[in-house]
Amino acid sequence: MIALVVVGASSGAHKASKAPKAFKTLVFGTASDPVVLDGALVSDGESLRVIDQIFESLIKLKPGTTKVAPGLATSWKTAGGGKVWTFALRKGVKFHDGTKFNAAAVCYNFNRWYNFKGAFQSPDATYYWQAIFLGFHNNESSDLSPSLFKGCKAKGQYSAQFTLAKPFGPFIPALSLTNFAIASPTALKKYGADKAEIRNGIFTPTGTYGFKHPTGTGPFKFKSWTVGEKLEIDRFAGYWGTKAKLGKVIFRPISNNTARLQALQTGEIMGYDLVAPQDYGAIKGNSKLKLLTRPAFNVAYVTLHQGTGSPMNDLKVRQAVAYGLNRTGLINSSAYPPGAVVAKEFQPPQLFGYAKKGVKTYNFDPAKARTLLNSSSCHVPCKVDFWYPSAVSRPYMPDPKRNFEVFKASLEASGFDVTAHTANWRPDYVGKVTNGTAGDLNLIGWTGDYGDPDNFLGVFFGTFSEQFNFHNNQIFNILQKARTETDQAKRVKLYEQANKIIMNYLPAVPYAHTSPALGFKKTVNGYKPSPVSLEPFALVSIGGV
Amino acid sequence: MLRFVVRRLLLLAPIVLGLSILVFLWIRALPGGPAEALLGERATQARIADVRHRYGLDKPLPVQYWAYLRTTLSGDLGQSIASRRSVTSEIAQRFPATIELALAAMIFAIGIGLPLGFLAAKWYGSWFDHLSLVGSLLGISIPIFFLAVILKYVFSVKLGLLPSIGQISVLIDLKHPTNFYLLDAVIEWDWSAFWDVLKHLILPAIALGSIPLAIVMRITRAAVLDVQNEDYVRTARAKGLSPLVVDSRHVLRNAMLPISTIIGLQTGLLLSGAVLTETVFQYPGIGSWITNAIFNRDYPVIQGGILFLAVVFVLVNLLVDISYAILNPRIRYGR
Amino acid sequence: MSIAEIESAELALESSTGGLWREAWFRLRRNPGAIVGAFFVLTFVVIAAFAPLIAPYDPTIVPTVLPETCCPGPSSAHWFGVNVIGQDTFSRVIYGARLSLVVGIVSVAVGLSVGMFLGAIAGYIGGFVDSVIMRCMDVLLAIPGLLLAIGIVALDLPFDRLYQLMIAIGVTNIPIFARLLRGSILAQRENDFVLAARSVGVKRPTILFSHILPNAMSPMIVQGTLALATAIIDVAALGFLGLGPQDPSTPEWGNMLADAQDYLSSQPLLAVFPGIAIVISVLGFNLIGDGMREALDPKLRGRA
Repeated sequence: MIALVVVGASSGAHKASKAPKAFKTLVFGTASDPVVLDGALVSDGESLRVIDQIFESLIKLKPGTTKVAPGLATSWKTAGGGKVWTFALRKGVKFHDGTKFNAAAVCYNFNRWYNFKGAFQSPDATYYWQAIFLGFHNNESSDLSPSLFKGCKAKGQYSAQFTLAKPFGPFIPALSLTNFAIASPTALKKYGADKAEIRNGIFTPTGTYGFKHPTGTGPFKFKSWTVGEKLEIDRFAGYWGTKAKLGKVIFRPISNNTARLQALQTGEIMGYDLVAPQDYGAIKGNSKLKLLTRPAFNVAYVTLHQGTGSPMNDLKVRQAVAYGLNRTGLINSSAYPPGAVVAKEFQPPQLFGYAKKGVKTYNFDPAKARTLLNSSSCHVPCKVDFWYPSAVSRPYMPDPKRNFEVFKASLEASGFDVTAHTANWRPDYVGKVTNGTAGDLNLIGWTGDYGDPDNFLGVFFGTFSEQFNFHNNQIFNILQKARTETDQAKRVKLYEQANKIIMNYLPAVPYAHTSPALGFKKTVNGYKPSPVSLEPFALVSIGGV
Repeated sequence: MLRFVVRRLLLLAPIVLGLSILVFLWIRALPGGPAEALLGERATQARIADVRHRYGLDKPLPVQYWAYLRTTLSGDLGQSIASRRSVTSEIAQRFPATIELALAAMIFAIGIGLPLGFLAAKWYGSWFDHLSLVGSLLGISIPIFFLAVILKYVFSVKLGLLPSIGQISVLIDLKHPTNFYLLDAVIEWDWSAFWDVLKHLILPAIALGSIPLAIVMRITRAAVLDVQNEDYVRTARAKGLSPLVVDSRHVLRNAMLPISTIIGLQTGLLLSGAVLTETVFQYPGIGSWITNAIFNRDYPVIQGGILFLAVVFVLVNLLVDISYAILNPRIRYGR
Repeated sequence: MSIAEIESAELALESSTGGLWREAWFRLRRNPGAIVGAFFVLTFVVIAAFAPLIAPYDPTIVPTVLPETCCPGPSSAHWFGVNVIGQDTFSRVIYGARLSLVVGIVSVAVGLSVGMFLGAIAGYIGGFVDSVIMRCMDVLLAIPGLLLAIGIVALDLPFDRLYQLMIAIGVTNIPIFARLLRGSILAQRENDFVLAARSVGVKRPTILFSHILPNAMSPMIVQGTLALATAIIDVAALGFLGLGPQDPSTPEWGNMLADAQDYLSSQPLLAVFPGIAIVISVLGFNLIGDGMREALDPKLRGRA
């Protein structure tokens, strides 16, 4: 096996890498190609993974944690009750095209996003800007709220001042998102980054920027991209910080889980993300491979959709569901990897705001579920429609089919009559879940983007949503208050309280926090898994043969 | 001859037109509909209505169809939702891959099926004949995807002899003047790349070629048996020509006719099989691409891809008919 | 020609078909391949029919305590082992036979009946109707069969997924049967007995039903048997691609194989059992179909 790889590597080397011999090449298996390499315009993990190597944000996370650290900004301070933020910027940084990094460049980027027009305001184009800052300078759709962001001004070469419409608790952690990474203004202008149209109904960047010339300040620079085959990035010798140890990283799209494992076993790739739980054994048992796990920063849950006429409108039925789901059985089985825990709240335990005590728990108890049902508006057998996504593996839900089968069986033992429905993950399933047409129950989950409970609780239950379809002002108000609060101690209290209320009200049942895993060849060193998947390849090296 | 070809070409028109109508209506019957598919998971009712209006999806069907036909005839097959590339450029990249795979599969099938069938007929009734007949039926009975999964598991994962996925190793940079990778490697005079591409082709070609192999074998056997008893073969033998000459000059050559027909008919099966083979081996061809597009509601791809494949299929059959007519002067061109 | 003469022609025809069938049956019985095929198919049908009696477990049952590792192999309690959530593989393979057989038969029946109907109309009426029908068949044939089936299932018609599968596979069979029947009708239309019947004013439908169709049946039966084999593979292929029954606990071979592919590294046997089940049942139908074709083919008669 090894021999084959070496032959392949040496045969390609004479044409492939112009990098000096001392620097090695890492081939990494991804689930798909990126969409486009412009952080402002993507929301999928595969795009963000690559963008994160080429670009940097003002704020970084300490490797392997969700704790904020200086990135392109070295320090920051707030004034005006949380509405004005001033960032001191790193000096001596250059973009890959030689452009100087300074306050003007930072403001160019932020004002570019803030002033997005037309096609760029569509939610599939700028999802994260809209999720964090809600709107634009000139909102062109009534769906958009007024922008939280009010402008960025350069105060000297290396100081940038941001103005917000109102205080925003998670502002600093949110800036660590790869979506807010700073790009070279020269390249943005030169390669038409602001050109896009809705072509055939699809948001389409028409410039070449995001496909051929993404230019940031990161430790790697873009080399080439052949869709469906490979994407190459090269070491950037002019990087301001610790330079990359690898000469080149090749991202190779392999859509199927098993195919990725097999490619790692044959040596066609040297690492990949999202190892399926059943493959842990195969990797651990192979003396040439190793398994790295990410800290759990996600939650899988069952939506209890309180639609018109749905039995889920009755709290007793929702409680019966909670008691009727064999969560412990599922998490302890081989359908979930070791390290997964049963979720008791909607946010990971290590994040602040997690209520350590006083939260109602629901252990698997079919008898209790039956009793609850018979005293409710939906007697045994209570008919429910239950949806699950097909042909997909998510970090929090590695094998949805098996999750569904286990839950269906345990719900049927608890007095429910379950009808199965399925749809493909994209675009059907997620669409159906979000617009509330995926039955009474459905399987879904969330991976956190940054270290703030607002990114969990606020996203799910901050306002009315068609997905859950409930109106509970107690929940909505407490989460809105926590969002605009800037005093950390008060925020912790508010979120703890919110978690308790939510678990009593049961708009959904959380069931798992999972540690996703990556598989690597033993020779690959220095890969540091991060809860939010921000993993610098710059620290990676390949030792031995 | 020319009239025959022209006539067949004219017959193509209604088929292609029918196909375009079928595909057009089918897209509109898909759950969710094109507007929802375009907007993806974050669609709102207002935006859906907006897109429907902007792209004329709220107009009567015949009007929509006419607009669709006009853009299609101008060569614009639209743009993939998933990759945001034009469907034509994706086809230009992926179709050669599938052709390469299909050709490799056919070479495998004919290279082994033809001699086996010939020998089975020569040794009619022998244990070899029986064995190859049973073997061929077994070949038809093994699902392609099952065979592909097993081949991959044994030969690449367990034994490590051949690559498990894709068309070429990512460590090789090969220029693609034609997108036929083997040909590209020859043009670029890069033999390590050639060898690498060839290694990537072996397992998928065997999986895809298994059914054609069985069929080619059976047809050859039957055809040779038929021809063997024809008068002119008997005459040739009676004249005292050596068996080898008789076989090669008369028997096999005449047996080529039915064989070439069946090869044409296999094209459709091959394309079906390519869907499964390409899926298992993550081979970047057109079959797995369209299948994924159907799953992801990538409707410009489905629309353009199926239309393209169908036209190819019809054209291949036309070519087979023409070659049949050339090979067999006895055929009537009229009807 | 008198009525009597026609009747005698009919009689001759009947006796000749009777003879044909009798001879075919005789030849079929002497074909070892067909006998083996019949054995496979018979086993398959018996297993499908009596699945609840044969299977030791309910194929959908999930134990409360799930296996902690994937996946316990064969044991005396579970002959083929269990899958990742503890379902008995043996019972699932047994019940899978039932599903494959039902979907196979229904879909071939759909294809056969619609195809025969269209083929008969096209072949007998001819002219413009023939052209229209046959061009429509050409259109269907031009789309690779599996893609056509995927496309039909993707429409998500308002029935259970199983019915969708039957319709999808049935539709891919329609043009095959339609062409076949039309071809043999065209071949027979000019036959002496048909011309004779027509000349004395026998009604066209009568000629079609009492003369032409019976004679066209043998290739249809052969094709039907072979189509059953293909249908079983197609159901499995669709299941493999994730278009099997909506409820994942439904035991379906292709679906089981697709699931097993994910667990290939920890338990390859999970893929082997449903795989072999598919191969054996498909081989059975192919052997019988093949034997029948040889038995009924006048060209090959007297050779085997």
